[in-house]
Amino acid sequence: MTGWIQALGGFLGRSAETTGYGLVLLARTILSLPHLFSRRRLRDCLDLCFTYCLGSFTVTAVVALFTGMILALNGGDSLASLGQENLIGRIVAISMIREMGPFMTALILTASLGSGIAAEIGTMRVSEEIDALRIMSISPIRFLVLPRLVALTLITPVMTIFAGFIGILGASIVAANNFGVTWIAFSNDALENLSTGDVYIGLIKSVVFGITIATVGATQGLLTKGGATGVGEAARRAVVITFLLVIIQGYYLSWVYLA
Amino acid sequence: MILLENLTKILGGKAILNGLDLQIATGETLVLLGRSGTGKSVTLRHIVGLMTPDSGRVEVLGKEISGHSEEELKFVRSKVGYLFQDGALLNWLTVEENVALPLKEFGKTPTSEINDRVQEVLKEVELDFHGDKFPSEISGGMRKRAGLARALISRPEIVLHDEPTSGLDPISSSIINGLVNRLKSSGITQVLVTHDMHSAFEVADRIALLHEGKIRSLGNVEEIRNSADEAVQQFLDGKIKGPLTQGAIDGVCDSEENGNEAT
Repeated sequence: MTGWIQALGGFLGRSAETTGYGLVLLARTILSLPHLFSRRRLRDCLDLCFTYCLGSFTVTAVVALFTGMILALNGGDSLASLGQENLIGRIVAISMIREMGPFMTALILTASLGSGIAAEIGTMRVSEEIDALRIMSISPIRFLVLPRLVALTLITPVMTIFAGFIGILGASIVAANNFGVTWIAFSNDALENLSTGDVYIGLIKSVVFGITIATVGATQGLLTKGGATGVGEAARRAVVITFLLVIIQGYYLSWVYLA
Repeated sequence: MILLENLTKILGGKAILNGLDLQIATGETLVLLGRSGTGKSVTLRHIVGLMTPDSGRVEVLGKEISGHSEEELKFVRSKVGYLFQDGALLNWLTVEENVALPLKEFGKTPTSEINDRVQEVLKEVELDFHGDKFPSEISGGMRKRAGLARALISRPEIVLHDEPTSGLDPISSSIINGLVNRLKSSGITQVLVTHDMHSAFEVADRIALLHEGKIRSLGNVEEIRNSADEAVQQFLDGKIKGPLTQGAIDGVCDSEENGNEAT
């Protein structure tokens, strides 16, 4: 019993320490934003935006397409039983833009980029590259974390819009083929019922998720200990923690929006 | 130049440094010897402020540095070059870009001067034909030399080497030793951590043996070679039994005698 309590205490202590480290890291990265406007940092940031977009483009497109198709198939089936299949457009559009698009994109970027950031910085940590930067008086926050945080904050909304568009496209194909809803009827219903608020909340969520993915990845990377095992563990923790934070943040942002 | 006074550092509940006192004079090359885990690298990391002592004082170039912030350490770090065990080069930059990094990041040196200095130090470490290669495309010895070139680009007054010849073939080790001796003749203060006795005798002005978190023996090459200290002789001869392994060997023997698993 005592051992169990000690283990729980240890876990809570470590979690609080990591959370504190992550929040301080985020604050210090935000404070170092003016350093982004140097030619070298801007170039690093643009390179990362390009690499990140390219790396997650295909998987986001495929997942978004099928998510839209699944939403249309399930939603259409229920609506058809009520003779309301012409409402598929609004249901899919609101779901994709407000909820599923940002959430799904965040999960994809967490798995592909968040884990990558943790592994990359973690490897640099265990191979003493971070220490080498510190000795050269180069801040690892400005040099490594800032460009990654800015790149993810910029590309997550872009990929979310792209995922929303592809998802709606997929849904329109299913609506036309399976339920006889024409493209015009589908898009009219979607556009008439989609408010600017839905678009804004989707974008706000994606920005928050982008910041979360980069911060958690960088935190886990910078806290990496040990060799290859430590790097693997950092990447795994980054994915698990970001998944949990994304779903919790998503719920509360929707709650605030709908309140 | 470098003063370590009553330095104590506890890591994982174990006193790695336990009242270490050491003074290194300007232009001196000191080699730190000792068994693995005796705190040699930890000592180097204190000199450059990568670690903060639990107690004691670290003074570098006349400035007390223990407990200072990264910002406050900038002055001292600008005068110190550090060669890490595997070079610690950034994998996405070429050798030239890695070497130029300390100068390029601060943007105070004109590009043409940076390029000239990069070529100069690469030539010094005999890597002038490999500047366009990535760290993954060169050997371990070349990575170490590239790391040394990066440490030298800022024209430091102090260079710290963490196991500069470990894992290298004898010829690559000799190249590194030659570089250390060239730095020595140009008056740079150096501290080397190594297990390579040949290298230690070739480059050292003084040799210090670290044991149980303190300096056990300190002297010039001849004094160390002829030392009456059993610990020094055990280390030089690589004997298993002796003062350096007293606790460990006894522990193993005791546990074996008691039928316990040695851990």
